[in-house]
Amino acid sequence: MAQAGVLLLRLQNVKKVFNSFVAVDNVTLEVAEGEFVCFLGPSGCGKTTTLRMIAGLEMPTEGEIFLREKRITYLPPQQRAIGFVFQNYALFWHMTVYENLVFGLRLRRFPAAEINKRVHEIAERFELMDLLKVRAALLDLSAMQRVAIARTLLIDPHLLLLDEPLNNIRPGLREMMRADLKRMQQELGKTMIYVTHDQEEALTLGDRIVVMSKGKIEQVGSPQEVYDVPATLFVAGFIGRPPMNLFDVQYEVENGHSWLVWRQHRWCVDKVRNQIEAAQPEKGLVLGVRPEKLKISYEASGIPAKVLLVQPLGRKDVLTLDLEGTTVHGVIPSELRINVGDVVFVEFPPEGMHVFSTATKGAIVHGIS
Amino acid sequence: MKRKNIAMTARPPVISAILWILHRLVVLLVVGVFLVPAVWLLSISFKPPTEWQVFPPTLIPRSPTLDNYIVLFKPEAPRGTAAAMLRVTEPVTKSFLNSLIVVPIATALSVTVGFLAAYAVARFRVGGAFMPFFVLTTRMFPPVAFAVPLLVYYRWLRLIDTPLGLILIYAGFTLAFSLWMTKGFIEGVPRHIEEAAILDGASPWRVLFTITLPIVKGGLAATTLFVFILNWTEFLYALIFTSTKTITVPVQLSHYVGAVGRFYGPQAALGVVASIPVVILGYMIQRYLVTGFSFGLIRR
Repeated sequence: MAQAGVLLLRLQNVKKVFNSFVAVDNVTLEVAEGEFVCFLGPSGCGKTTTLRMIAGLEMPTEGEIFLREKRITYLPPQQRAIGFVFQNYALFWHMTVYENLVFGLRLRRFPAAEINKRVHEIAERFELMDLLKVRAALLDLSAMQRVAIARTLLIDPHLLLLDEPLNNIRPGLREMMRADLKRMQQELGKTMIYVTHDQEEALTLGDRIVVMSKGKIEQVGSPQEVYDVPATLFVAGFIGRPPMNLFDVQYEVENGHSWLVWRQHRWCVDKVRNQIEAAQPEKGLVLGVRPEKLKISYEASGIPAKVLLVQPLGRKDVLTLDLEGTTVHGVIPSELRINVGDVVFVEFPPEGMHVFSTATKGAIVHGIS
Repeated sequence: MKRKNIAMTARPPVISAILWILHRLVVLLVVGVFLVPAVWLLSISFKPPTEWQVFPPTLIPRSPTLDNYIVLFKPEAPRGTAAAMLRVTEPVTKSFLNSLIVVPIATALSVTVGFLAAYAVARFRVGGAFMPFFVLTTRMFPPVAFAVPLLVYYRWLRLIDTPLGLILIYAGFTLAFSLWMTKGFIEGVPRHIEEAAILDGASPWRVLFTITLPIVKGGLAATTLFVFILNWTEFLYALIFTSTKTITVPVQLSHYVGAVGRFYGPQAALGVVASIPVVILGYMIQRYLVTGFSFGLIRR
């Protein structure tokens, strides 16, 4: 349902500078009607600032923002019809749930009958009927979230922005509320932009993920795409747990064959030679392999490595290996029963090898076979 | 409340009963320490002159009298030998009324302006980062240093010995406290709550009065009481800037001095009477005070 929609929101070369700190740098992005987009990145990467600019709580230093092809870059927040759910929900805790819900409608001078109708509809929908007379400060977290979202939906926004709404919630409840949120988004068909630093959350919730770092967009893609074909070294190192194994390698041509060389090991890259040579390989290359793609066994083929740590995760074990002095992570089925201190052999499968440029930090090729 | 319930159920009844008694004893002790001066004041106010300085001191007057109170209100009809030596000719009603006009107005002015200024400083950085400190510097001089220049201005503006003159001075000198105290409370209100209201379509003034103000009202109550007490007990400026018409309670208090010494009885009686407005105010805003002083604990 995602990409098929009509264009709803467009950010064009948006930049935000605080004093001399560039918080958001040249962000261009399009969001379609009905999409669930996740902004993912470490704290301080500019994702919340981008969200606040869309809401109108911050003004961009440069660039333009369009909502349904109408320029809203400098429009005051209340005229944008965009809902915002804050990290701590920002309920008016001195008011009752009912007062929280009607606050916006009253300010927008809706007739009393209409207010009543809308509030009761939404309270019914969000199971808040019994709580209408309760003070917001006394609610539990799940009810707070429902009030916060219900409040923003009452004014029928074009777009709902959520700023790490599940951040302070204990694991367990968190997964439940996440599932609720996803179901709700599908039922309502509302476009949502969801900010998080938790990749698991982003990968499970988002139709599309926008990975950000240091104010820039690193990659925009489906959860599968950002995982399988990371566009940059940052995405490769950020997405996935444990993260992708990265090795600094050299590019060499010998006897008419092209090779990636790491210490005394080398891999033939004839099939992707053109792509690699176009990307200035002499400035350095990085080879990346996902932990679960590494073939790890006791059979003597590949590079020997010592097992430093085994973390059982139910059906899988996460291994920490000492591969000739470099720490490498691997994921294997637990049936293999590998023990700490053993020597195992690691093979790099050609289809699981990603090659990045050290100079541009961008991906050159995914899979070398 | 909740915590007490948990403690009561988690411990054997005997231990919790002992803890309860210990708790009450500690509270009683603390309250006792704080009440000693007040009780002593009350005691002296009912004592005749012969008992003011007896040794060992007595808590209960041996021959209680209302003379000390009567002399406050009827100085022209002195009773007993000591009161006859008083040079006070004005009844306390006048200074009391003066204080009741000057202090509440000055306090309201100070807290209102302080709150609005604090909001401007806390939320909009009006005047830059240095502004709150700059306001505080008005309290970094000994107050008497301002007395002479102000006296010159006041003579020129004909504000000496007028309620307005005192109101302006009191409001001005407590403004720094009002600003700093309310600033702390305002900064405790999450900015996101205000932003949520803005997104809902509220103007800055509406945000201030329907969101921020109700949340910090406990803090405002605490600030009001604090500033009220400061103004109510102010002596130096009241002494310098009033002469006959606008004297306040603390100045009146200093008048109960005779050629042979202090008139502890009438002074104590006036002390008791003068405490009444403060006690009433404190009682009125009591329920806000708890949230005011424990502000950091209730916020999320």
